[in-house]
Amino acid sequence: MTVPRRGFLKKGILGGALLLIGGGAGLALRSTRLGKPPRKPLRLLAAGEHAVLAAIAARVVPGDGAPPAWPSAEAVDCAGKIDALLALAHPAVGEDFKRLLGLFENGLTGLFIHRSPTPFTQLAPSDQDARLEAWRRSRLTLLRSGYQALVRLVHATYFSSPEVYPVLGYPGPPGVPT
Amino acid sequence: MSGRLLGPNDARGELTPDFCVVGSGAGGSMAAAVLAQAGARVLLLEEGGHHTRREFNMEESWAYPTLYQEHGNRATEDLSIMILQGRAVGGGTTVNWTSSFRTPPATLERWASHHGVELDGAALAPHFAAVEERLNIKEGNPDDVNRNNQKLWDGARKLGWKPELIRRSVKGCARLGYCGMGCPLDAKQSALITYVPDAIAAGADLLPDCRVARLEGGARVSAVHGELLDASRDRPTGQALVVRPRRGVVLAAGAINTPALLLRSKLGLGSGLVGRRTFLHPTVPIMALFEEPVEAFYGAPQSVSCHHFSDRGAKIGYFLETPPVHPMLAAIAFPGFGATHRRFAERLAHTQSTIALLVDGHHDDPGGLVRVDGTGRTKVTYPFGPDLQEAGVDAIKSMARVLLAAGAVEVVTLHEEPLVIKKEGDLAQIDRAPFGPLRHTLFSAHQMGGCPMGRDPKRSVVDSRGRHHEVENLWITDGSVFPTGLGVNPQLSIYGHARLFAQAIAKSG
Repeated sequence: MTVPRRGFLKKGILGGALLLIGGGAGLALRSTRLGKPPRKPLRLLAAGEHAVLAAIAARVVPGDGAPPAWPSAEAVDCAGKIDALLALAHPAVGEDFKRLLGLFENGLTGLFIHRSPTPFTQLAPSDQDARLEAWRRSRLTLLRSGYQALVRLVHATYFSSPEVYPVLGYPGPPGVPT
Repeated sequence: MSGRLLGPNDARGELTPDFCVVGSGAGGSMAAAVLAQAGARVLLLEEGGHHTRREFNMEESWAYPTLYQEHGNRATEDLSIMILQGRAVGGGTTVNWTSSFRTPPATLERWASHHGVELDGAALAPHFAAVEERLNIKEGNPDDVNRNNQKLWDGARKLGWKPELIRRSVKGCARLGYCGMGCPLDAKQSALITYVPDAIAAGADLLPDCRVARLEGGARVSAVHGELLDASRDRPTGQALVVRPRRGVVLAAGAINTPALLLRSKLGLGSGLVGRRTFLHPTVPIMALFEEPVEAFYGAPQSVSCHHFSDRGAKIGYFLETPPVHPMLAAIAFPGFGATHRRFAERLAHTQSTIALLVDGHHDDPGGLVRVDGTGRTKVTYPFGPDLQEAGVDAIKSMARVLLAAGAVEVVTLHEEPLVIKKEGDLAQIDRAPFGPLRHTLFSAHQMGGCPMGRDPKRSVVDSRGRHHEVENLWITDGSVFPTGLGVNPQLSIYGHARLFAQAIAKSG
């Protein structure tokens, strides 16, 4: 479970350039496809940011070809749980995370990083995976850090949810002897 | 007269204890207990909450956000090393895996010869013995060994690498496997149920949910300024705390937060060393799959260690242990996403995990850096140089060998592009795979350094009894005083040093 540090997007010239073309979360999310509304009132994220996070989570878990017993990211409410967790973090961490979501969604960033100008939420699933892969394998530490922040939070919230335990062969916590 | 667990109403106005102790883990609880038993009036402050066994529900979704620093999200600035560090009454001891080692003689000798530390094994021995007595640390127990640890034992034995049973700080352990989430039986003899209650019984007051923002002073600390926290939101309630201790301040906020507090306070920084030489025992995990279920989520999490590679001469050493394999902790260690990641996860019950902890600071590796940014946030960076990379790669090969020897069907590395090792001949792949920050999963469960002890004020922050060289009524009793990584799990070293230091503070403060 890891969220980005402040200054995450400010390292070096390239970081600055990405921040410029990222253009701030509000601008970046104007064309975001919203998907299903949040289950609970959001504590940190705006609706568009939640939608980006939910779209990422849907590609991260449980993955294509999963047997039906594997719950979806939406069923586990990964995005809602991440919102609740980040609401507890230092305010600057929350701001950085919002900026990261904006950058990930942004078409111009996509064009720059893997030559696709379409916002993440509007991409086909295979192209969404390609964008995640581009960040994961990037030569830029900045993008690899961003990938880790997004994916670890999804994994942390998904795999710590009891409804996922059965498919892992994990019976859950044992009874406490008295 | 017994002390009390304080709440916000007890923290109004200026408080004037003899000593203010910041942090209630191994170092702080011990200092509070020793000072209170010596007759001093002690106020013990803790940023985390006071959580007890009935809350310890063995669910990762509760435990990590509630009991760990930054809600389980602490990491180096580039996110390459995930840092597991406790934040609750009892500090790291509330969530550690109970492993108990005295400071190795070779480490103490190095501190004396290279860092001007005026302490030796003989001076520390009675303190270790007293802690072992209080925490019920006995010889390692073969009955503690679960299947996960048995694999490390079997493999290391076959290779002649002399595995050892780990001594554990437990009494009446049911081997549930959830030490890292708080012991629901109070079988773990954490500070939460030992030295913190000892301190309170001797008259110390404990105030949890209180963050110390800064120390005020120059040649002496005149005040400790804190803010009370609303635990449900982890935000300040708006109520400030001012403590004006009559005799002194003891810092024990851990090896990241203690240097950060000095930096934030701009106090006692003359050596230029505060926050430098931060050591993490950078930890390299590996996974192995076995035909039969391993169920590494159950049983005492850590009962076997292997120190065969601790001393590699001119190269950085490492030692081998095991982590528990619970769903979340494992899932954030597995690389990839989607179906690739799922293939790791669906074999969880058959997964063994071993870890290699790199013994940092004993060579030319400089350690990490703790600093505080303009918003007051604490940052950790940790350069992972070629010498550490060499050790990491060698450790992966050793772990693969040990697990193949133990009968693994396949060993899977946690490189971003995982390698599958099925036989000795596959090991050469490990040398070719990109290794390093964000190329391989790395974490830290041991934080040390940042305020090193020693004789020379130009080369250390505190003396060899924990007293700050520049600030006369300020002491440090946590792992930040260690001049290098320890080479073993730190809790007993911290307790032992803190006990020795606190007895000196009681006399001189």
